[in-house]
Amino acid sequence: MPVYEYRGLGINIPDNDSEYKEYFEAAGDHRLVVRKCLGCGLLRGEPGHGCPWCASLEWEWHEVSGKGTIYSYQIVAHTVLPGFRDWAPYPIVLVELDEQRGQPTPDDGLRITANLLDENMAPEKEENVAIGGRVEVMFMDLENGLTLPQFKLSDEPPQGPVWRHPV
Amino acid sequence: MGTHLSDKYCIVGVGETEYSRGSGRSTRAMAVEAISKAMGDAGLSSGDVDGLMSYHGGDSIPSTTVMHDLGIRPNFHMDCSGGGSSTEALIGLAMGAIEAGMCDTLAIYRSMNGYSQVRIGGTGVRASAPVAGPDLTKRPYGLVSAVQNFAFTFTRHMMEYGVTNEHLAHIKVTHSNHASNNPKALMKQRVLVEDVINSRWIVKPCAHLLDCCLETDNATCIIITSAERARDLKQRPTYVMGVQGRGTKPGGDFHYQHGPITRVAGYHIGPRIFEMAGITHDDIDVTSCYDAFTYTALLQFEDYGFCEKGEGKDYVSSGITDLGGKRPNNTSGGHLCEAYTHGMNMVIENVRQLRGQVDDYCPRWQEGVHTYDYSEGGCRQVKDTEITMSMGWGTPAIGSAVILRR
Ligand SMILES: [Zn+2]
Repeated sequence: MPVYEYRGLGINIPDNDSEYKEYFEAAGDHRLVVRKCLGCGLLRGEPGHGCPWCASLEWEWHEVSGKGTIYSYQIVAHTVLPGFRDWAPYPIVLVELDEQRGQPTPDDGLRITANLLDENMAPEKEENVAIGGRVEVMFMDLENGLTLPQFKLSDEPPQGPVWRHPV
Repeated sequence: MGTHLSDKYCIVGVGETEYSRGSGRSTRAMAVEAISKAMGDAGLSSGDVDGLMSYHGGDSIPSTTVMHDLGIRPNFHMDCSGGGSSTEALIGLAMGAIEAGMCDTLAIYRSMNGYSQVRIGGTGVRASAPVAGPDLTKRPYGLVSAVQNFAFTFTRHMMEYGVTNEHLAHIKVTHSNHASNNPKALMKQRVLVEDVINSRWIVKPCAHLLDCCLETDNATCIIITSAERARDLKQRPTYVMGVQGRGTKPGGDFHYQHGPITRVAGYHIGPRIFEMAGITHDDIDVTSCYDAFTYTALLQFEDYGFCEKGEGKDYVSSGITDLGGKRPNNTSGGHLCEAYTHGMNMVIENVRQLRGQVDDYCPRWQEGVHTYDYSEGGCRQVKDTEITMSMGWGTPAIGSAVILRR
């Protein structure tokens, strides 16, 4: 895969990238994937090469539903990236996927970072960004051929604790 | 766990350059000045220092250059990669190097044009670097700076424990009060809670501009040697009672995948350092708690056990951490108000507190005579400081600490 330009960033996914190349290739097919350990069967949100729980090096890609809940969030008011200034203030969310929530310990989960965008791929309004909000993945296909997984609010009611900063 | 090195090593010299936002000179020039001042403070000459260590993020000058300029010939030297939380870790490594017989007296330095050249906030060179590897799931989403990297932890903590921006602002207010009595501080202006709340947002909901530290041009130095040698030197020795270096919580860079996201590394290494030092929190007179952002200090107070989890908001807003309070914190003004040094100034300040040598506006501070009047433009020496603790922060997942006594 080449170097992609996006909002002033050079996004470099070389052929010897053993973690993220196939993750973004799957995104190009509009599939959100995580790694599944073939030793203990647990999924992991970060596509590393060994299992955080059993240290097995055997794994396979596993497609997930892309549905989840906002576990935490931030609204970037001041960005140091010039290419993102037209977006600011923009939300970044930490989404906890529905798969494997609270396993193997109650505080664990598959957590994915992305922007929270509306149907037009513009930053979601601040007042709609809250912990507990239900979201689903969507895929931002860039003209250069790269696809970024992103999230949008779903129609489902919130889940678990609901909180947003009162400003 | 080993406790046999407790009280066997001392900090014998400290020094720093001017804290500025535009040094107009090289990291080499600044490093040499800081080391020279620390040697002078300790009463050591170049021939007495035979170890050099530094830490950097590709923004400093290596030991192999600095040693020439001072005529130091190290028997041991090493430049480590790292930012916040490196100070305390390197103090421990220096003890290890001396204990291993690799050198006898070691200078640790950090030199950075952190405002005028390489800003940790990610503007300039760092912002334009190509995105690859683990950054691929962050930077394409506009997530790049330190506070953005920590913000998921901060926001979730606000929800779980009811922390408000007012609570956080108290940390800045306290440190600004302390800085107003520090001639070296970059920001000596005292601020009020509403000043912090009314400063512009950097990242909502956890960081206004005044919740963020001051990127600074500076160099700093700390010299370590054995307690035996320390007794013959110029200053009253500062003993290392306990040290922990770059301990982590599960997951490292991907800590937000595992366990309570609001927990920081101090939870894991706190019990170790108190065991090594053989003391409890109540024995500590003064703390320095890494304040890259107001929130980093609050989280560390909780997870090192200075208060219960969730009570950090009360700990930082009840006067405990003020000069004149039960356990003053960051008496120099810390990273929020004195200077951002990646932790060095917090240990340096505590050494001076333990010696009774804090530089403030007391007319006779140079003789160690203080008024203990903490009003603006006055004193910042804490009376009879016997034990201090510094808590360094790298990320929510990485922390270091050192407990010092006089
Ligand atoms: Zn496994």
